[in-house]
Amino acid sequence: MLETRAALEGDRTLAYATLAPSVVFLVLLAGVPTITVFVTAMQDIGMGDMSGPYVGFENFVWALTSESFYTALWNTFIWVFGSVSIEMVLGLGLALLLNKTFAVRGIARAVILAPYLVPTVVAVLTWRYMFHDIVGIINAGLIATGLIDKPLLWLNSESLAMTSVILVGVWKFFPFAVIALLGILQAIPQEQYEAAKIDGASSMQQFWRITLPYVMPVFLLTALLRTIWTFHKFEIIYLMTGGGPLDATTTLPILVYLKAFTDFEFGRAAAVAILTFGILGILLGLYFMLIKRAEARQ
Amino acid sequence: MTSATLSVASAAERPRRNYEMADVHHLASRMMLYLLVFTAVSVVGFPLFWMVLCSFKPGGELYATPPTFLPQEWTLQNYRDLFVQTNFPTYFANSLIVAGGATLLSLVIGGLGAYSLSRFKFFGIAAFSNAALVCYMLPEVLIVLPLYIYVVKLGLADTLIALIIANTAFTLPLALWFMRSYFNAIPVSLEESAMIDGCTRLQAMYRVTIPLALPGIVSVGVFAFNHAWNEFLFALVFTSSERNKTLPLGLATWIGQDNIYSWGMLLAGAVLVTIPVVLFYLLVQRKLVVGLSEGGAKGE
Repeated sequence: MLETRAALEGDRTLAYATLAPSVVFLVLLAGVPTITVFVTAMQDIGMGDMSGPYVGFENFVWALTSESFYTALWNTFIWVFGSVSIEMVLGLGLALLLNKTFAVRGIARAVILAPYLVPTVVAVLTWRYMFHDIVGIINAGLIATGLIDKPLLWLNSESLAMTSVILVGVWKFFPFAVIALLGILQAIPQEQYEAAKIDGASSMQQFWRITLPYVMPVFLLTALLRTIWTFHKFEIIYLMTGGGPLDATTTLPILVYLKAFTDFEFGRAAAVAILTFGILGILLGLYFMLIKRAEARQ
Repeated sequence: MTSATLSVASAAERPRRNYEMADVHHLASRMMLYLLVFTAVSVVGFPLFWMVLCSFKPGGELYATPPTFLPQEWTLQNYRDLFVQTNFPTYFANSLIVAGGATLLSLVIGGLGAYSLSRFKFFGIAAFSNAALVCYMLPEVLIVLPLYIYVVKLGLADTLIALIIANTAFTLPLALWFMRSYFNAIPVSLEESAMIDGCTRLQAMYRVTIPLALPGIVSVGVFAFNHAWNEFLFALVFTSSERNKTLPLGLATWIGQDNIYSWGMLLAGAVLVTIPVVLFYLLVQRKLVVGLSEGGAKGE
Protein backbone atom coordinates (compact mmCIF):
# COMPACT_ATOMS: atom_id res chain seq x y z
CA MET A 1 0.00 0.00 0.00
CA LEU A 2 2.70 2.45 0.98
CA GLU A 3 4.50 1.89 -2.26
CA THR A 4 1.37 2.64 -4.25
CA ARG A 5 0.82 5.79 -2.23
CA ALA A 6 4.31 6.99 -2.95
CA ALA A 7 3.69 6.19 -6.60
CA LEU A 8 0.37 8.02 -6.43
CA GLU A 9 1.89 11.15 -4.97
CA GLY A 10 5.04 11.03 -7.04
CA ASP A 11 3.64 10.81 -10.55
CA ARG A 12 5.14 14.11 -11.65
CA THR A 13 4.06 13.97 -15.27
CA LEU A 14 0.41 13.43 -14.43
CA ALA A 15 0.55 16.02 -11.65
CA TYR A 16 1.86 18.72 -13.94
CA ALA A 17 -0.22 17.67 -16.94
CA THR A 18 -3.48 17.94 -15.03
CA LEU A 19 -2.57 21.25 -13.42
CA ALA A 20 -1.11 22.87 -16.53
CA PRO A 21 -4.37 24.02 -18.17
CA SER A 22 -5.45 25.79 -14.97
CA VAL A 23 -2.08 27.49 -14.64
CA VAL A 24 -2.12 28.62 -18.27
CA PHE A 25 -5.65 30.01 -17.95
CA LEU A 26 -5.02 31.86 -14.73
CA VAL A 27 -1.72 33.27 -15.91
CA LEU A 28 -3.29 34.52 -19.15
CA LEU A 29 -6.53 35.77 -17.61
CA ALA A 30 -5.32 37.21 -14.32
CA GLY A 31 -1.52 37.24 -14.10
CA VAL A 32 -0.62 38.85 -17.42
CA PRO A 33 -3.56 41.31 -17.28
CA THR A 34 -2.47 42.51 -13.84
CA ILE A 35 1.02 43.20 -15.20
CA THR A 36 -0.48 44.81 -18.31
CA VAL A 37 -2.44 47.25 -16.14
CA PHE A 38 0.83 48.52 -14.69
CA VAL A 39 2.23 49.02 -18.20
CA THR A 40 -0.98 50.70 -19.34
CA ALA A 41 -0.87 53.04 -16.35
CA MET A 42 2.49 54.33 -17.63
CA GLN A 43 1.09 55.05 -21.08
CA ASP A 44 -1.08 57.68 -22.64
CA ILE A 45 -3.54 55.36 -24.32
CA GLY A 46 -6.66 56.44 -26.12
CA MET A 47 -9.09 54.55 -28.28
CA GLY A 48 -8.03 52.99 -31.55
CA ASP A 49 -5.02 50.69 -31.68
CA MET A 50 -4.72 50.49 -27.88
CA SER A 51 -1.15 51.74 -27.67
CA GLY A 52 0.43 55.07 -26.91
CA PRO A 53 3.58 56.86 -25.73
CA TYR A 54 5.06 56.16 -22.31
CA VAL A 55 4.54 58.99 -19.88
CA GLY A 56 6.09 57.64 -16.67
CA PHE A 57 4.06 58.31 -13.54
CA GLU A 58 2.07 61.14 -15.07
CA ASN A 59 -1.22 59.25 -14.79
CA PHE A 60 -0.64 58.58 -11.09
CA VAL A 61 0.24 62.21 -10.52
CA TRP A 62 -2.96 63.17 -12.28
CA ALA A 63 -5.00 60.79 -10.11
CA LEU A 64 -3.45 61.87 -6.83
CA THR A 65 -3.94 65.55 -7.59
CA SER A 66 -7.39 65.38 -9.15
CA GLU A 67 -10.50 66.17 -7.22
CA SER A 68 -12.44 63.34 -8.87
CA PHE A 69 -10.13 60.71 -7.36
CA TYR A 70 -10.63 61.98 -3.82
CA THR A 71 -14.37 62.38 -4.30
CA ALA A 72 -14.48 58.77 -5.52
CA LEU A 73 -12.35 57.64 -2.58
CA TRP A 74 -14.68 59.35 -0.14
CA ASN A 75 -17.77 57.94 -1.90
CA THR A 76 -16.22 54.48 -1.79
CA PHE A 77 -15.66 54.86 1.93
CA ILE A 78 -19.28 55.90 2.54
CA TRP A 79 -20.58 53.12 0.27
CA VAL A 80 -18.47 50.41 1.90
CA PHE A 81 -18.87 51.55 5.49
CA GLY A 82 -22.61 52.19 5.14
CA SER A 83 -23.35 48.92 3.37
CA VAL A 84 -21.17 46.61 5.43
CA SER A 85 -22.12 47.94 8.86
CA ILE A 86 -25.85 47.71 8.14
CA GLU A 87 -25.45 44.31 6.47
CA MET A 88 -23.62 42.89 9.47
CA VAL A 89 -26.02 44.18 12.11
CA LEU A 90 -29.03 43.06 10.08
CA GLY A 91 -27.30 39.78 9.27
CA LEU A 92 -26.64 38.98 12.91
CA GLY A 93 -30.19 39.90 13.93
CA LEU A 94 -31.79 37.73 11.27
CA ALA A 95 -29.35 34.87 11.85
CA LEU A 96 -30.34 34.87 15.54
CA LEU A 97 -33.98 34.88 14.47
CA LEU A 98 -33.59 32.06 11.97
CA ASN A 99 -31.60 30.06 14.50
CA LYS A 100 -34.77 29.69 16.61
CA THR A 101 -37.13 26.83 15.93
CA PHE A 102 -40.51 27.83 14.52
CA ALA A 103 -43.13 26.53 12.15
CA VAL A 104 -42.27 28.08 8.79
CA ARG A 105 -38.51 28.28 9.19
CA GLY A 106 -37.71 26.71 5.81
CA ILE A 107 -39.86 29.21 3.94
CA ALA A 108 -38.61 32.15 6.01
CA ARG A 109 -35.03 31.15 5.30
CA ALA A 110 -35.67 30.81 1.57
CA VAL A 111 -37.29 34.27 1.38
CA ILE A 112 -34.50 35.92 3.38
CA LEU A 113 -31.87 34.23 1.23
CA ALA A 114 -33.62 35.16 -2.03
CA PRO A 115 -32.14 38.64 -2.63
CA TYR A 116 -28.63 37.18 -2.62
CA LEU A 117 -29.54 34.71 -5.37
CA VAL A 118 -31.40 37.13 -7.60
CA PRO A 119 -29.28 38.54 -10.46
CA THR A 120 -28.12 42.09 -9.79
CA VAL A 121 -29.82 43.41 -12.90
CA VAL A 122 -33.14 42.04 -11.60
CA ALA A 123 -32.63 43.62 -8.19
CA VAL A 124 -31.79 46.93 -9.84
CA LEU A 125 -34.80 46.87 -12.18
CA THR A 126 -37.19 46.12 -9.35
CA TRP A 127 -35.78 48.76 -7.04
CA ARG A 128 -35.63 51.38 -9.75
CA TYR A 129 -39.31 50.80 -10.38
CA MET A 130 -40.01 51.06 -6.64
CA PHE A 131 -37.86 54.21 -6.32
CA HIS A 132 -39.50 55.84 -9.34
CA ASP A 133 -40.42 59.47 -8.60
CA ILE A 134 -43.98 59.26 -9.86
CA VAL A 135 -45.11 55.65 -10.25
CA GLY A 136 -42.91 54.17 -7.51
CA ILE A 137 -44.52 52.38 -4.59
CA ILE A 138 -42.09 53.89 -2.04
CA ASN A 139 -43.07 57.49 -2.70
CA ALA A 140 -46.72 56.47 -2.94
CA GLY A 141 -46.52 54.67 0.42
CA LEU A 142 -44.75 57.54 2.15
CA ILE A 143 -47.25 60.07 0.80
CA ALA A 144 -50.21 57.89 1.76
CA THR A 145 -48.96 57.59 5.35
CA GLY A 146 -48.32 61.33 5.47
CA LEU A 147 -44.58 61.06 6.12
CA ILE A 148 -43.77 63.21 3.11
CA ASP A 149 -46.03 65.49 1.10
CA LYS A 150 -44.29 65.51 -2.24
CA PRO A 151 -42.34 62.75 -4.04
CA LEU A 152 -38.67 62.36 -3.12
CA LEU A 153 -36.11 62.04 -5.90
CA TRP A 154 -34.47 58.90 -4.52
CA LEU A 155 -31.97 58.38 -7.33
CA ASN A 156 -31.84 61.82 -8.90
CA SER A 157 -30.89 64.02 -5.98
CA GLU A 158 -27.31 64.35 -4.84
CA SER A 159 -28.23 64.10 -1.19
CA LEU A 160 -30.34 60.92 -1.43
CA ALA A 161 -28.72 58.90 -4.21
CA MET A 162 -25.99 57.30 -2.07
CA THR A 163 -28.49 56.36 0.63
CA SER A 164 -30.74 54.72 -1.96
CA VAL A 165 -27.88 52.79 -3.53
CA ILE A 166 -26.70 51.59 -0.11
CA LEU A 167 -30.23 50.47 0.69
CA VAL A 168 -30.36 48.33 -2.44
CA GLY A 169 -26.86 46.98 -1.81
CA VAL A 170 -27.79 46.02 1.74
CA TRP A 171 -30.96 44.30 0.57
CA LYS A 172 -29.05 42.36 -2.06
CA PHE A 173 -26.06 41.27 0.02
CA PHE A 174 -27.04 41.05 3.71
CA PRO A 175 -28.16 37.39 3.26
CA PHE A 176 -24.49 36.48 2.90
CA ALA A 177 -23.92 37.60 6.49
CA VAL A 178 -27.05 35.72 7.57
CA ILE A 179 -25.78 32.46 6.06
CA ALA A 180 -22.25 32.84 7.42
CA LEU A 181 -23.47 33.69 10.92
CA LEU A 182 -26.22 31.07 10.94
CA GLY A 183 -23.54 28.46 10.27
CA ILE A 184 -21.53 29.45 13.33
CA LEU A 185 -24.61 29.90 15.55
CA GLN A 186 -25.62 26.33 14.86
CA ALA A 187 -22.15 25.18 15.86
CA ILE A 188 -22.35 26.59 19.40
CA PRO A 189 -22.56 23.63 21.84
CA GLN A 190 -26.02 23.62 23.43
CA GLU A 191 -24.60 22.43 26.78
CA GLN A 192 -23.13 25.88 27.30
CA TYR A 193 -26.60 27.43 27.27
CA GLU A 194 -28.00 24.69 29.49
CA ALA A 195 -25.20 25.21 32.01
CA ALA A 196 -25.82 28.98 31.90
CA LYS A 197 -29.55 28.48 32.45
CA ILE A 198 -28.89 26.32 35.50
CA ASP A 199 -26.68 29.08 36.83
CA GLY A 200 -29.62 31.46 36.34
CA ALA A 201 -28.23 33.54 33.46
CA SER A 202 -30.84 35.67 31.65
CA SER A 203 -31.13 35.38 27.88
CA MET A 204 -29.43 38.77 27.54
CA GLN A 205 -26.50 37.52 29.62
CA GLN A 206 -26.38 34.33 27.57
CA PHE A 207 -26.16 36.43 24.40
CA TRP A 208 -23.33 38.65 25.66
CA ARG A 209 -21.36 35.92 27.44
CA ILE A 210 -21.79 32.89 25.16
CA THR A 211 -23.21 33.76 21.75
CA LEU A 212 -21.30 36.93 20.95
CA PRO A 213 -17.80 35.72 21.92
CA TYR A 214 -18.40 32.51 20.00
CA VAL A 215 -19.65 34.32 16.89
CA MET A 216 -17.14 37.18 16.94
CA PRO A 217 -14.29 35.65 14.86
CA VAL A 218 -16.67 34.66 12.05
CA PHE A 219 -18.46 38.00 12.37
CA LEU A 220 -15.22 39.94 11.84
CA LEU A 221 -14.06 37.70 9.02
CA THR A 222 -17.42 38.01 7.25
CA ALA A 223 -17.35 41.78 7.71
CA LEU A 224 -13.87 41.95 6.20
CA LEU A 225 -14.85 39.75 3.28
CA ARG A 226 -17.93 41.87 2.65
CA THR A 227 -15.72 44.99 2.85
CA ILE A 228 -13.44 43.58 0.14
CA TRP A 229 -16.32 42.63 -2.13
CA THR A 230 -18.31 45.81 -1.54
CA PHE A 231 -15.16 47.83 -2.22
CA HIS A 232 -14.90 46.67 -5.82
CA LYS A 233 -18.59 46.21 -6.52
CA PHE A 234 -19.39 47.82 -9.85
CA GLU A 235 -22.64 46.88 -11.50
CA ILE A 236 -25.12 47.61 -8.74
CA ILE A 237 -24.08 51.28 -8.53
CA TYR A 238 -23.53 51.61 -12.25
CA LEU A 239 -27.00 50.30 -13.01
CA MET A 240 -28.76 52.24 -10.25
CA THR A 241 -27.29 55.70 -10.91
CA GLY A 242 -24.38 55.40 -13.37
CA GLY A 243 -22.32 57.17 -10.69
CA GLY A 244 -24.57 60.21 -10.67
CA PRO A 245 -26.24 62.56 -10.20
CA LEU A 246 -23.03 64.44 -11.04
CA ASP A 247 -20.48 62.38 -9.09
CA ALA A 248 -22.59 61.72 -5.99
CA THR A 249 -22.29 57.93 -6.29
CA THR A 250 -19.06 57.66 -8.29
CA THR A 251 -16.97 55.15 -6.35
CA LEU A 252 -13.45 54.12 -7.43
CA PRO A 253 -14.57 51.21 -9.67
CA ILE A 254 -17.11 53.49 -11.35
CA LEU A 255 -14.42 56.11 -11.86
CA VAL A 256 -12.17 53.49 -13.50
CA TYR A 257 -14.96 52.49 -15.86
CA LEU A 258 -15.96 56.05 -16.73
CA LYS A 259 -12.35 57.14 -17.35
CA ALA A 260 -11.73 54.14 -19.62
CA PHE A 261 -14.97 53.72 -21.52
CA THR A 262 -16.59 57.15 -21.46
CA ASP A 263 -13.55 59.46 -21.51
CA PHE A 264 -11.39 56.87 -23.34
CA GLU A 265 -8.40 57.64 -21.11
CA PHE A 266 -7.07 54.15 -20.54
CA GLY A 267 -3.83 55.24 -18.91
CA ARG A 268 -5.59 57.29 -16.27
CA ALA A 269 -8.18 54.57 -15.73
CA ALA A 270 -5.38 52.04 -15.20
CA ALA A 271 -3.68 54.33 -12.69
CA VAL A 272 -6.91 54.65 -10.69
CA ALA A 273 -7.43 50.88 -10.93
CA ILE A 274 -3.96 50.26 -9.50
CA LEU A 275 -4.50 52.70 -6.64
CA THR A 276 -7.82 50.95 -5.95
CA PHE A 277 -6.07 47.60 -6.04
CA GLY A 278 -3.45 48.91 -3.62
CA ILE A 279 -6.07 49.80 -1.03
CA LEU A 280 -7.77 46.47 -1.66
CA GLY A 281 -4.42 44.72 -1.29
CA ILE A 282 -4.13 45.98 2.27
CA LEU A 283 -7.60 44.60 3.02
CA LEU A 284 -6.74 41.28 1.36
CA GLY A 285 -3.53 41.03 3.38
CA LEU A 286 -5.54 41.61 6.54
CA TYR A 287 -8.02 38.94 5.48
CA PHE A 288 -5.36 36.29 4.86
CA MET A 289 -3.66 37.18 8.12
CA LEU A 290 -6.89 36.67 10.05
CA ILE A 291 -7.56 33.37 8.24
CA LYS A 292 -4.06 32.15 9.13
CA ARG A 293 -4.54 33.11 12.75
CA ALA A 294 -7.94 31.39 12.89
CA GLU A 295 -6.45 28.24 11.37
CA ALA A 296 -3.54 28.33 13.82
CA ARG A 297 -5.98 28.57 16.72
CA GLN A 298 -7.80 25.47 15.53
CA MET B 1 -31.31 11.89 55.21
CA THR B 2 -34.85 13.18 55.65
CA SER B 3 -33.83 16.75 55.02
CA ALA B 4 -32.16 15.68 51.79
CA THR B 5 -35.33 13.90 50.62
CA LEU B 6 -37.38 16.95 51.51
CA SER B 7 -35.26 19.37 49.56
CA VAL B 8 -35.42 17.12 46.52
CA ALA B 9 -39.20 17.02 46.79
CA SER B 10 -39.56 20.79 47.04
CA ALA B 11 -37.18 21.29 44.14
CA ALA B 12 -39.37 19.02 42.07
CA GLU B 13 -42.47 20.95 43.05
CA ARG B 14 -41.15 24.44 42.45
CA PRO B 15 -41.25 24.29 38.63
CA ARG B 16 -44.83 23.03 38.74
CA ARG B 17 -45.92 26.08 40.73
CA ASN B 18 -44.28 28.41 38.22
CA TYR B 19 -45.74 26.50 35.32
CA GLU B 20 -48.55 28.91 34.49
CA MET B 21 -46.37 32.00 34.68
CA ALA B 22 -43.78 30.38 32.45
CA ASP B 23 -46.50 29.37 30.04
CA VAL B 24 -47.74 32.95 29.61
CA HIS B 25 -44.21 34.18 29.26
CA HIS B 26 -43.51 31.46 26.71
CA LEU B 27 -46.60 32.33 24.70
CA ALA B 28 -45.67 36.02 24.62
CA SER B 29 -42.17 35.29 23.41
CA ARG B 30 -43.49 32.93 20.73
CA MET B 31 -45.87 35.63 19.47
CA MET B 32 -43.00 38.12 19.46
CA LEU B 33 -40.91 35.64 17.49
CA TYR B 34 -43.58 35.12 14.85
CA LEU B 35 -44.18 38.86 14.62
CA LEU B 36 -40.47 39.45 13.99
CA VAL B 37 -40.29 36.67 11.43
CA PHE B 38 -43.37 38.00 9.65
CA THR B 39 -41.92 41.53 9.54
CA ALA B 40 -38.53 40.35 8.30
CA VAL B 41 -39.98 38.10 5.63
CA SER B 42 -42.41 40.71 4.32
CA VAL B 43 -39.86 43.53 4.20
CA VAL B 44 -37.14 41.41 2.58
CA GLY B 45 -39.53 39.60 0.28
CA PHE B 46 -41.56 42.61 -0.81
CA PRO B 47 -39.45 43.80 -3.78
CA LEU B 48 -39.55 40.39 -5.45
CA PHE B 49 -43.23 39.96 -4.64
CA TRP B 50 -43.87 43.40 -6.17
CA MET B 51 -41.81 42.54 -9.25
CA VAL B 52 -43.86 39.39 -9.95
CA LEU B 53 -47.15 41.12 -9.19
CA CYS B 54 -46.48 44.13 -11.42
CA SER B 55 -45.29 41.98 -14.31
CA PHE B 56 -48.92 40.86 -14.64
CA LYS B 57 -50.39 44.37 -14.61
CA PRO B 58 -51.61 46.05 -17.80
CA GLY B 59 -49.91 49.26 -18.90
CA GLY B 60 -52.48 51.61 -17.40
CA GLU B 61 -52.12 50.19 -13.92
CA LEU B 62 -48.31 50.26 -14.03
CA TYR B 63 -48.34 54.03 -14.46
CA ALA B 64 -51.26 54.75 -12.13
CA THR B 65 -50.77 57.15 -9.21
CA PRO B 66 -51.28 55.97 -6.54
CA PRO B 67 -50.41 52.48 -7.77
CA THR B 68 -52.89 49.66 -7.43
CA PHE B 69 -51.74 46.90 -5.10
CA LEU B 70 -53.10 43.69 -6.62
CA PRO B 71 -53.57 43.84 -10.39
CA GLN B 72 -57.20 44.73 -11.08
CA GLU B 73 -56.83 42.92 -14.34
CA TRP B 74 -54.25 40.11 -14.67
CA THR B 75 -52.56 40.04 -18.06
CA LEU B 76 -49.77 38.19 -19.87
CA GLN B 77 -49.39 41.07 -22.32
CA ASN B 78 -45.99 42.13 -20.89
CA TYR B 79 -44.57 38.66 -21.43
CA ARG B 80 -46.01 38.49 -24.94
CA ASP B 81 -44.54 41.92 -25.81
CA LEU B 82 -41.17 40.78 -24.53
CA PHE B 83 -41.01 37.97 -27.04
CA VAL B 84 -42.63 39.78 -29.94
CA GLN B 85 -41.19 43.28 -29.69
CA THR B 86 -37.69 42.67 -28.32
CA ASN B 87 -34.63 40.49 -28.78
CA PHE B 88 -35.23 38.81 -25.45
CA PRO B 89 -35.03 35.27 -26.95
CA THR B 90 -31.64 36.12 -28.49
CA TYR B 91 -30.35 37.47 -25.18
CA PHE B 92 -31.60 34.34 -23.46
CA ALA B 93 -29.83 32.06 -25.94
CA ASN B 94 -26.60 34.09 -25.67
CA SER B 95 -26.67 33.92 -21.90
CA LEU B 96 -27.17 30.15 -22.07
CA ILE B 97 -24.19 29.79 -24.42
CA VAL B 98 -21.91 32.05 -22.37
CA ALA B 99 -22.84 30.61 -18.97
CA GLY B 100 -22.87 27.04 -20.28
CA GLY B 101 -19.51 27.47 -22.04
CA ALA B 102 -17.82 29.08 -19.03
CA THR B 103 -19.20 26.37 -16.74
CA LEU B 104 -18.04 23.52 -18.95
CA LEU B 105 -14.61 25.08 -19.39
CA SER B 106 -14.07 25.67 -15.68
CA LEU B 107 -15.39 22.23 -14.70
CA VAL B 108 -13.07 20.38 -17.09
CA ILE B 109 -9.96 22.50 -16.56
CA GLY B 110 -10.64 23.21 -12.90
CA GLY B 111 -11.55 19.57 -12.25
CA LEU B 112 -8.22 18.34 -13.60
CA GLY B 113 -6.34 21.08 -11.74
CA ALA B 114 -8.18 20.40 -8.48
CA TYR B 115 -7.42 16.70 -8.81
CA SER B 116 -3.74 17.54 -9.18
CA LEU B 117 -3.82 19.91 -6.19
CA SER B 118 -5.59 17.34 -4.07
CA ARG B 119 -3.68 14.18 -4.99
CA PHE B 120 -0.08 15.21 -5.58
CA LYS B 121 2.56 16.83 -3.49
CA PHE B 122 4.96 19.06 -5.36
CA PHE B 123 6.77 22.33 -5.13
CA GLY B 124 4.67 25.47 -5.31
CA ILE B 125 1.33 23.85 -4.62
CA ALA B 126 0.39 26.13 -1.71
CA ALA B 127 1.59 29.18 -3.61
CA PHE B 128 -0.58 28.26 -6.58
CA SER B 129 -3.74 27.66 -4.52
CA ASN B 130 -3.28 31.01 -2.80
CA ALA B 131 -2.65 32.70 -6.13
CA ALA B 132 -5.88 31.18 -7.45
CA LEU B 133 -7.77 32.60 -4.48
CA VAL B 134 -6.26 36.03 -5.08
CA CYS B 135 -7.36 35.78 -8.75
CA TYR B 136 -10.88 35.22 -7.51
CA MET B 137 -10.66 38.37 -5.41
CA LEU B 138 -9.20 40.60 -8.12
CA PRO B 139 -11.52 43.49 -8.88
CA GLU B 140 -13.30 43.01 -12.20
CA VAL B 141 -12.62 46.63 -13.15
CA LEU B 142 -8.89 45.98 -12.87
CA ILE B 143 -9.00 42.94 -15.15
CA VAL B 144 -11.44 44.36 -17.63
CA LEU B 145 -9.08 47.08 -18.92
CA PRO B 146 -6.26 44.77 -20.12
CA LEU B 147 -8.73 42.08 -21.23
CA TYR B 148 -10.49 44.66 -23.36
CA ILE B 149 -7.16 45.63 -24.93
CA TYR B 150 -6.40 41.96 -25.73
CA VAL B 151 -9.87 41.31 -27.04
CA VAL B 152 -9.63 44.25 -29.42
CA LYS B 153 -6.12 43.29 -30.56
CA LEU B 154 -7.12 39.66 -31.14
CA GLY B 155 -10.21 40.71 -33.08
CA LEU B 156 -12.48 39.00 -30.55
CA ALA B 157 -14.44 42.12 -29.66
CA ASP B 158 -18.19 41.60 -29.74
CA THR B 159 -18.03 37.79 -29.73
CA LEU B 160 -19.48 35.28 -27.30
CA ILE B 161 -16.14 33.41 -27.19
CA ALA B 162 -14.46 36.41 -25.60
CA LEU B 163 -17.15 36.47 -22.93
CA ILE B 164 -16.88 32.73 -22.24
CA ILE B 165 -13.13 32.93 -21.74
CA ALA B 166 -13.25 36.14 -19.69
CA ASN B 167 -15.84 34.62 -17.38
CA THR B 168 -13.55 31.71 -16.57
CA ALA B 169 -11.12 34.19 -15.01
CA PHE B 170 -13.52 34.09 -12.06
CA THR B 171 -15.27 30.74 -12.36
CA LEU B 172 -12.03 28.75 -12.72
CA PRO B 173 -10.54 29.74 -9.32
CA LEU B 174 -13.95 29.00 -7.82
CA ALA B 175 -13.95 25.54 -9.39
CA LEU B 176 -10.37 24.86 -8.32
CA TRP B 177 -11.00 25.71 -4.69
CA PHE B 178 -14.29 23.93 -4.31
CA MET B 179 -13.37 20.78 -6.19
CA ARG B 180 -10.08 20.43 -4.38
CA SER B 181 -11.93 20.22 -1.09
CA TYR B 182 -14.37 17.68 -2.56
CA PHE B 183 -11.51 15.53 -3.85
CA ASN B 184 -9.75 15.85 -0.49
CA ALA B 185 -12.81 14.32 1.14
CA ILE B 186 -12.51 11.17 -0.97
CA PRO B 187 -10.00 8.71 0.50
CA VAL B 188 -6.96 8.03 -1.68
CA SER B 189 -7.17 4.38 -0.61
CA LEU B 190 -10.20 3.91 -2.86
CA GLU B 191 -8.10 4.82 -5.88
CA GLU B 192 -5.29 2.62 -4.63
CA SER B 193 -7.62 -0.35 -4.41
CA ALA B 194 -8.85 0.27 -7.93
CA MET B 195 -5.27 0.41 -9.16
CA ILE B 196 -4.36 -2.81 -7.34
CA ASP B 197 -7.36 -4.34 -9.12
CA GLY B 198 -5.73 -3.40 -12.40
CA CYS B 199 -7.04 0.06 -13.24
CA THR B 200 -4.63 2.64 -14.57
CA ARG B 201 -4.36 5.95 -12.75
CA LEU B 202 -6.71 7.72 -15.14
CA GLN B 203 -9.21 4.87 -15.05
CA ALA B 204 -9.20 5.01 -11.24
CA MET B 205 -9.87 8.74 -11.39
CA TYR B 206 -12.56 8.34 -14.04
CA ARG B 207 -14.32 5.32 -12.52
CA VAL B 208 -13.91 5.95 -8.78
CA THR B 209 -13.06 9.51 -7.82
CA ILE B 210 -15.21 11.48 -10.24
CA PRO B 211 -18.44 9.53 -9.61
CA LEU B 212 -17.93 9.96 -5.86
CA ALA B 213 -17.28 13.69 -6.23
CA LEU B 214 -20.24 14.17 -8.57
CA PRO B 215 -22.56 15.95 -6.10
CA GLY B 216 -19.77 18.42 -5.40
CA ILE B 217 -19.02 18.85 -9.08
CA VAL B 218 -22.69 19.57 -9.78
CA SER B 219 -22.87 22.27 -7.16
CA VAL B 220 -19.64 23.88 -8.39
CA GLY B 221 -21.19 23.83 -11.85
CA VAL B 222 -24.26 25.59 -10.53
CA PHE B 223 -22.17 28.27 -8.82
CA ALA B 224 -20.13 28.84 -11.95
CA PHE B 225 -23.22 28.95 -14.14
CA ASN B 226 -24.88 31.39 -11.80
CA HIS B 227 -21.82 33.63 -11.77
CA ALA B 228 -21.60 33.74 -15.55
CA TRP B 229 -25.38 34.08 -15.90
CA ASN B 230 -25.28 37.25 -13.80
CA GLU B 231 -22.05 38.69 -15.16
CA PHE B 232 -22.47 42.24 -16.40
CA LEU B 233 -19.23 44.22 -16.70
CA PHE B 234 -17.47 42.03 -19.28
CA ALA B 235 -20.63 41.89 -21.35
CA LEU B 236 -21.00 45.67 -21.14
CA VAL B 237 -17.42 46.34 -22.22
CA PHE B 238 -16.92 43.62 -24.85
CA THR B 239 -20.28 43.64 -26.58
CA SER B 240 -21.39 46.24 -29.04
CA SER B 241 -24.00 44.60 -31.27
CA GLU B 242 -27.57 43.77 -30.40
CA ARG B 243 -27.26 40.15 -31.50
CA ASN B 244 -24.45 39.35 -29.02
CA LYS B 245 -26.01 40.85 -25.92
CA THR B 246 -26.51 38.66 -22.86
CA LEU B 247 -29.57 38.95 -20.63
CA PRO B 248 -28.15 41.29 -17.97
CA LEU B 249 -26.76 43.62 -20.63
CA GLY B 250 -29.93 43.46 -22.72
CA LEU B 251 -32.19 44.27 -19.80
CA ALA B 252 -29.81 46.96 -18.52
CA THR B 253 -29.87 48.84 -21.81
CA TRP B 254 -33.66 49.08 -21.58
CA ILE B 255 -33.54 50.78 -18.18
CA GLY B 256 -34.27 54.44 -18.42
CA GLN B 257 -35.86 54.15 -21.86
CA ASP B 258 -39.37 53.79 -20.53
CA ASN B 259 -40.77 55.58 -23.52
CA ILE B 260 -39.87 52.52 -25.63
CA TYR B 261 -39.72 49.68 -23.14
CA SER B 262 -42.52 49.72 -20.61
CA TRP B 263 -41.93 48.88 -16.97
CA GLY B 264 -44.23 45.92 -17.45
CA MET B 265 -41.97 44.43 -20.07
CA LEU B 266 -38.86 45.09 -17.99
CA LEU B 267 -40.38 43.44 -14.94
CA ALA B 268 -41.56 40.48 -17.02
CA GLY B 269 -37.98 40.16 -18.29
CA ALA B 270 -36.68 40.34 -14.72
CA VAL B 271 -39.02 37.52 -13.69
CA LEU B 272 -37.86 35.32 -16.56
CA VAL B 273 -34.17 35.95 -15.81
CA THR B 274 -34.77 34.94 -12.21
CA ILE B 275 -36.52 31.64 -12.95
CA PRO B 276 -33.38 29.62 -13.86
CA VAL B 277 -31.70 30.94 -10.71
CA VAL B 278 -34.61 29.79 -8.58
CA LEU B 279 -34.58 26.36 -10.23
CA PHE B 280 -30.87 26.03 -9.50
CA TYR B 281 -31.42 27.08 -5.92
CA LEU B 282 -33.96 24.32 -5.46
CA LEU B 283 -31.52 21.88 -7.04
CA VAL B 284 -28.62 22.57 -4.70
CA GLN B 285 -30.34 24.14 -1.72
CA ARG B 286 -28.57 22.12 0.94
CA LYS B 287 -25.16 22.28 -0.69
CA LEU B 288 -25.46 26.02 -1.10
CA VAL B 289 -26.12 26.78 2.55
CA VAL B 290 -23.39 24.40 3.69
CA GLY B 291 -20.92 25.65 1.10
CA LEU B 292 -21.51 29.30 1.84
CA SER B 293 -21.24 28.94 5.59
CA GLU B 294 -18.24 26.62 5.54
CA GLY B 295 -16.01 28.67 3.32
CA GLY B 296 -16.92 32.31 3.25
CA ALA B 297 -13.89 32.87 1.07
CA LYS B 298 -15.43 30.95 -1.77
CA GLY B 299 -18.95 32.25 -1.58
CA GLU B 300 -19.89 34.99 -4.00
